[in-house]
Amino acid sequence: MPPKRHIMGLFKSEDKVVAAINALKQSSYEFIRVNTPIPSHKIMDALKLKSSQVGWFTLCGGILGFIAGFALAIFTATRWNLIVSGKPIIAIIPFVVVGFEVTILGAVFGNVIGLLTQTRLPSFRWFKYYDARCSGEHFGVLAACEPMQEDGLKDFFQEQGAEVRIFETIKESPQL
Amino acid sequence: MPRLTFTSLDQTILNTLTPPKRYYWGIVFLLFLGVMLGASCWAYQIFTGIGVGGQNNPVAWGTYLINFVFWVGIAHSGTLISAILHLFRAGWRNPIARAAETMTVFAVCVAGLFPFIHLGRAWQVYYMLPLPNQRLLWPNFLSPLMFDVIAISTYLTVSSLFWYTGMLPDLAAVRDRSTGTRHKIFKYLSFGWTGAHEQWRHYTRGYLFFAALATPLVISVHSVVSWDFALGIVPGWHTTIFAPYFVAGAIHSGLAMVLTLMIPLRKLFKYEDIITIEVLQNVAKTIVLTGLIVGLAYGTEYFIAWYSHNSIEMEQFRWRALGDYRWGFFFMVLCNTLVPLLFLFRKVRTTIVSLFVISLIVNFGMWWERFVIIAGGVAHGFAPHAWGLYAPTMIEYGIMLGAFCLFFFLFVLFAKHLPSVSMTEMKETIAEGAGHAA
Repeated sequence: MPPKRHIMGLFKSEDKVVAAINALKQSSYEFIRVNTPIPSHKIMDALKLKSSQVGWFTLCGGILGFIAGFALAIFTATRWNLIVSGKPIIAIIPFVVVGFEVTILGAVFGNVIGLLTQTRLPSFRWFKYYDARCSGEHFGVLAACEPMQEDGLKDFFQEQGAEVRIFETIKESPQL
Repeated sequence: MPRLTFTSLDQTILNTLTPPKRYYWGIVFLLFLGVMLGASCWAYQIFTGIGVGGQNNPVAWGTYLINFVFWVGIAHSGTLISAILHLFRAGWRNPIARAAETMTVFAVCVAGLFPFIHLGRAWQVYYMLPLPNQRLLWPNFLSPLMFDVIAISTYLTVSSLFWYTGMLPDLAAVRDRSTGTRHKIFKYLSFGWTGAHEQWRHYTRGYLFFAALATPLVISVHSVVSWDFALGIVPGWHTTIFAPYFVAGAIHSGLAMVLTLMIPLRKLFKYEDIITIEVLQNVAKTIVLTGLIVGLAYGTEYFIAWYSHNSIEMEQFRWRALGDYRWGFFFMVLCNTLVPLLFLFRKVRTTIVSLFVISLIVNFGMWWERFVIIAGGVAHGFAPHAWGLYAPTMIEYGIMLGAFCLFFFLFVLFAKHLPSVSMTEMKETIAEGAGHAA
């Protein structure tokens, strides 16, 4: 089977991107992705994306941090069981400070791990069929079609008001 | 911002990354010399002993701790601007958020040096790490100094990660508009970011969590710093007002430093269309607010001393205003509370020169506030026979100068090698007037 052709429509307006995505969904062309210089709620809504799972990583990191912070303070305190000025060995109130800071640290580490794993970064695979103008002023909509549909997809993007870029077929994506 | 477009914005910011001229390297070299001077003073102290500093009984905490608190304070407004104002959807923070975040990271680095310097035997810093020592004893987390180690290291880690995460889309924009070695470097620095919708979907969520986590952290960190003092039974220190008082003061000084850095940056990099006078005006208005909070804290301290009828506290606060360090007290009240009130006048807060001069005055006043609290507290404690005065030595002045030079050295290097304004957030402002994930 011949490889599919990849064509990107480059828009300057979010609204036109939304219209193009909606029209693309109704067509026989395969929608691949959108590359944008800014996060766009209009585009996200048009794509009907599920909410991100990053928060679960953050939550897990925070819980682990909470346990680690209190465990660290309690463990170190119990290494020297000598009561000073009648203060308890395991003093909860001062340990809240350590517990709180390590909770935040754990949550942030979880957040970073969540971000990296969910966005699949670092990776150069994202450069496959990417136009550098998409980090500047253009919004790129990437679609794929059978070789015989190439002209149709090109015309489709032009009708939507986009500049068109036709990519050479890449067989293997470079990896980091 | 009617004149700005995505293209003109990219162009303005990318123009700042062109190869620097000779005078830039001249400034970098001068700052480097200042850093070396500070490093030499520190090296001299290490080889000779901590006694080369002016700290001695009863004032064992001098400029090293004063500068530590000062720089931690400076670090606070970066997070205020990038996280708290982000959560409040204050669009005016977008042009200054990147520089303020960078200021935070460098200020925490500089602040973190001072406990090392104050240790004297800097190589024994591992006593503060959660590791057993030779006698298998562990650090005691009942001590506010250990709270500080945890809080400051957490703050440095979180603010660095927040800063880098926020910069990721901009690093990709620089990568896509550069060639040769710079392209290669930015290709790796940007981790392969392409702004794909799948990346944005998780990124916006993660950035929001970052902001939500950094907000309580920033409040906790300077509260913890204040407890270094407030948990000690020293007159003038042992008060419950210290945590909010320090947090407000930190934001006050940090905002002033934002103006100090932004105004020259705006002029040199031709950012007038990006960092507009309205943005600077909003910072000035916030300084009025924080200045009033700080002023309220000054007044409350006096009220508490009077209301307690505690003779030791009353004497401490009488001496603070009328004793040997009265000029420090005068500077702190005048510079931190009264001078910022000039920003109530529209003419003052919309004039670049007055904004810059007042920002310097506030920084000066905030340094003196820390002097009055830290040195003043222990200089005039419980027992009159133990009263004493403190003055910094030339070694301390050298280290202080080195610290200021290090901060500006790092900032000057940053401004010319990385995007000093967030291109992505500015584009969002142009598009809808909001920030990441708004």
